[in-house]
Amino acid sequence: MPNLPKRKIGLISCSGEELPEGTVTRRAVRTVLETLRPDDTVTLCLPLFLAGGEGERAFARHYPTIAVDGCPKRCAALATEKYSAKPAASIVVSEIAKEKECAAIGTARRLNEAGLRLAETVAERIAADTEKLLNMKSRGR
Amino acid sequence: MTRKIPVVPCSGIGKSLGAAAREAAYILAEDLRPLDAKVVALALLVLGDDEARREVAGRAAVAIDGCKLECAAKGLTDAGAAEVRKVAVFDVVRRHRGLKPEGVCDLNADGLKLARASADEAARIVDEIVAEDGRA
Amino acid sequence: MENKRLELTVDKFIFRFPAGLLYSEDGLWVEFEGQRARIGLSDFTQQRNGDVAFAMPGEVGTRVRKGDEVAVVETIKVNLSLPSPVAGKVIETNQELVAAPELINQDPYGKGWLSVLEVEDPDAARGSLRTAAEYLTLAKAQAEAEVSR
Repeated sequence: MPNLPKRKIGLISCSGEELPEGTVTRRAVRTVLETLRPDDTVTLCLPLFLAGGEGERAFARHYPTIAVDGCPKRCAALATEKYSAKPAASIVVSEIAKEKECAAIGTARRLNEAGLRLAETVAERIAADTEKLLNMKSRGR
Repeated sequence: MTRKIPVVPCSGIGKSLGAAAREAAYILAEDLRPLDAKVVALALLVLGDDEARREVAGRAAVAIDGCKLECAAKGLTDAGAAEVRKVAVFDVVRRHRGLKPEGVCDLNADGLKLARASADEAARIVDEIVAEDGRA
Repeated sequence: MENKRLELTVDKFIFRFPAGLLYSEDGLWVEFEGQRARIGLSDFTQQRNGDVAFAMPGEVGTRVRKGDEVAVVETIKVNLSLPSPVAGKVIETNQELVAAPELINQDPYGKGWLSVLEVEDPDAARGSLRTAAEYLTLAKAQAEAEVSR
């Protein structure tokens, strides 16, 4: 087992290129990594994960992960479970969009204002799940 | 109606080259060759989505990869593409020395230039495939 | 080269350091072969600085003191001026890097070597370098500082 000094949560986004929700996942995950929870999270690159990325798969075996998917096909969640371990949490952007009654969010290439706001909402949800998972790990010690 | 040529970017989230690959795919499919090219999601291909696999099975396809790990090219090969033509954004960087792309969600100016240069290369490949299909 | 490799994992990054090499604090590895020293970038240095687009070792015949620039490596992120880990004269450079600079990323301790130098005082040079275990400790501190930035 590798030397794992600090609890961190792995975020894996589908980055689905065909839907704007895929672009939302990407932006949301980067927002959490760069701004909301920079010390507590790591992004796992899904293409690299799928292609056999050693670091990505090892991390997801030993640390909790949050899969962030654009649509119910849930590629990120499925891939994580298939190649490492079931994600500790799974977020689907289309479900959040429905819940928030989002208007059209733009295109996969360019999100509009509603899409950017949705990405912020998703980022906050990821951050909240991160917090829960870190607290669970604390209590488990 | 002729089917569009599948284009698969790696969309790596860790590096700006992955973002440039993704943007290049959109430039290609929306601006440069909207009648001939179509973006297909890598994750769907690799995970066996039927619709995605039908797009590429037995056909020539274009992979746009950010780095030498070639995740998109590998995914296309595994998904049964008959031929995978590659655009390596990393090599495009080498041909445009001095570009320092930055940003993952929002590429900087160098990143956008890189995406455009990569899309131009991909467009030439699409034209070749279209010409070959026309002659077949 | 001794086959054993030390490994350091920080988050999702795995860094490897062959035990049979010596290392400079600037992140280069050194393999002594009598009066000669082969040098290259450590796995930690190459991962930290990104994909190499151009690698320009100093010309054959160049004399360097320890710390003088012995190569320049341009990645997609930065331009790195690499300080020589030893004093000596460059007698060979890796020509494969011209067409395939990515060898530095793919095989930093093998095909990605940079240069070979004729070393003025190999014993003194060895004494000024770090073992793999010492370098791992240094790399660990640097890696952890970076991920928590």
